[in-house]
Amino acid sequence: MKCFVGIDLGSTTTKAVVLDEDGAVLGRGITNSRSNYDVACAVAKGEAFTNVRFSLCSRALPATTSLDSRKRADLIVDLERHFRLAQHRAQLQALRETVEEEIASIEKFYPHAPVKANVAQILDAMEAAAEPLFARGTARRSDFFRDIAASQYHREATKRACPEKLPFEALMAVFDKSILRSENRELALPFERGAGWAIEKSLEAAGLAGAPEADGLREVLRKAFAVEIEIAESVGTGYGRARLPFEKRQIRSEILCHGLGAHRMFAGTRTVLDIGGQDTKAIQVDENGIVTSFQMNDRCAAGCGRYLGYIADEMNLGLHELGPLAQQASRPVRITSTCTVFAGAEIRDRLTLGQKREDILAGLHRAVILRAMSLLARSGGISEEFTFTGGVAKNVTAVAVLRDLVQRNYGKRTLNISPDSIYTGALGAALFALRAGVKAREEEGAAA
Amino acid sequence: MTSTITAGIDIGSSAMKTVVVRHGDGAARPAILARQVERLRHRDVKALVDETYDHTLEKAGVRRDEVAYVATTGEGELVSFRTGHFYGMTAHGRGGGELVPEARAVLDIGALHARAMVVDERGRVLRYRMTSQCASGSGQFLESIGRYLGVAAEEIGPLSLEAEKPEKVSSICAVLAETDVINMVSRGIRVKDILKGIHLSMAGRFVKLLEASGAEGTVALTGGLAADIGLAAALREEAARSKASLRFVSRPEAIYAGALGAAIWAHHRLKKLAALGSEAPSP
Repeated sequence: MKCFVGIDLGSTTTKAVVLDEDGAVLGRGITNSRSNYDVACAVAKGEAFTNVRFSLCSRALPATTSLDSRKRADLIVDLERHFRLAQHRAQLQALRETVEEEIASIEKFYPHAPVKANVAQILDAMEAAAEPLFARGTARRSDFFRDIAASQYHREATKRACPEKLPFEALMAVFDKSILRSENRELALPFERGAGWAIEKSLEAAGLAGAPEADGLREVLRKAFAVEIEIAESVGTGYGRARLPFEKRQIRSEILCHGLGAHRMFAGTRTVLDIGGQDTKAIQVDENGIVTSFQMNDRCAAGCGRYLGYIADEMNLGLHELGPLAQQASRPVRITSTCTVFAGAEIRDRLTLGQKREDILAGLHRAVILRAMSLLARSGGISEEFTFTGGVAKNVTAVAVLRDLVQRNYGKRTLNISPDSIYTGALGAALFALRAGVKAREEEGAAA
Repeated sequence: MTSTITAGIDIGSSAMKTVVVRHGDGAARPAILARQVERLRHRDVKALVDETYDHTLEKAGVRRDEVAYVATTGEGELVSFRTGHFYGMTAHGRGGGELVPEARAVLDIGALHARAMVVDERGRVLRYRMTSQCASGSGQFLESIGRYLGVAAEEIGPLSLEAEKPEKVSSICAVLAETDVINMVSRGIRVKDILKGIHLSMAGRFVKLLEASGAEGTVALTGGLAADIGLAAALREEAARSKASLRFVSRPEAIYAGALGAAIWAHHRLKKLAALGSEAPSP
């Protein structure tokens, strides 16, 4: 199976989109970015390929079994969650190994504290918490190992810390140091411990393990995982594109990719607003999705997704909880600090003073969108059809505030938001890869 | 001989510092009986305040009712049992002057702000200058960078001292710094050179603050970053280029300067109240 891959290496997350030879989306993958770009890239690609395989599985099932559509969907859900559990365990194991290597460098600063024994217990507790985390219907704040591990570890460390005897910062320092190194290792999850195991577990969960059709199902699923995926061409974009393990001809600017990706999602788009983790872009495109002008903020976190991410961390909230909470505001406050770090301190003060979390959050969302509005104005305003992309486009309050401000400043406009908007840049990159592939084939044809 | 015990609690944006201090009658300097610092990092501050206060008293061998005054500075509202509150600048000036009596200037380097203060012989603030409303180059900034680089806080200073080719870092956003720093690492720049570059850029700014406030001579370093030997070395390098003759002194208790200053002002207030014939207000 031949495919085309686009990778968007952003500041917060790395995304991959896989297209088939006709340009249809086969799969998408996402992971948190990290200092080793090659690994971030490999993981995102691996996730996208896994996604491809899960869709191959669900496509292959109807032809081979008598299971009804609900049972088939359940089987795929079970398959996926068991696979995630296997992955999570392997990551936890890698973290444990890294901790063993790193702990001496921290322990030496705290010679009288039982750091090692307690860290081992924390890791045991995390191990014990793994299975329920991936139980059916469990909602997770984040799907990234780093986030899950950080919040579990923080909770356990807070429980165990005791001034002098076991300093809190000693426990946290071990984690900070180890998580960075462990997630930069490439995980080798052998089939029998990953997908193979998940297939058996999902059959068990569905009560099919001993059923007459078990062997048939097993074969179909194993086959889907064994399909050979050949990458015909890849293109990289995003903040870290210059460091991707790609050749120069395989790199495109994120502005171009966002323009093209948004155009592919909504062909009538002429203005694109992308609020990503680390930068905000206002882009104008023509009828072919080619960029005609743009404005960008990438020097300061105020006005970017990281602004909201930082505040979410400060308030111990998951990113996706921010929008719904802010929707409940009754009297939004006006945040006076520009700087993200100062806004964090301002929020702590406001909370201490008894102001409501919802009202503060509403003020923060407004601050972000106001900055975006000024960027849009400088890029040439908002045309009739307008697409909002990036992680912040998933945030209901950000969207509501944007709608309101657009209506007030520009009048009626069509606002497009795709549920897959976070993949816009990667999609654009994959489309560039597809074009390059088509061109190469034509040249080959001409030469022959 | 009678003595008075006061406590100082300084709640900053990154850590809380607690000291228990005994003040003698005569000219003897106040003595720190016990001290404790705890990083906040998303912990429940109110619960932490209670736990840390009791723990510090236990170390000092003092009961709660023996403390005549609990003075707060920073986010004092979080301490429900406080007797009174002192403004951060006042507390740091007094604490810095106490730790380094010959100093006529105090440079307080906290998580969010850096403050340069010119103080008199009793540690009262005469003039001051503060950093602007952006966290680039603050203590929080350095703490985050350490985390992104996988370097423990204790390792930052010694590593920076080993730098050979400091990487020039102009103002980068404290929040976006993670990617900037990761980019530097992926460009093959060594961690120690990055840290030194950041120290130099911070030191350059702090020396300017000191110059603008009119500081001369011995400067007491206070706040969480006063113990960072890499930053101290960078300060000396930058000060060598300055017209003002600045000499930096940092004591091991430097991070407690705010808490100590508050505890000393508390004693001062008690003496004044006693002279007026009234007692300390109850919290």
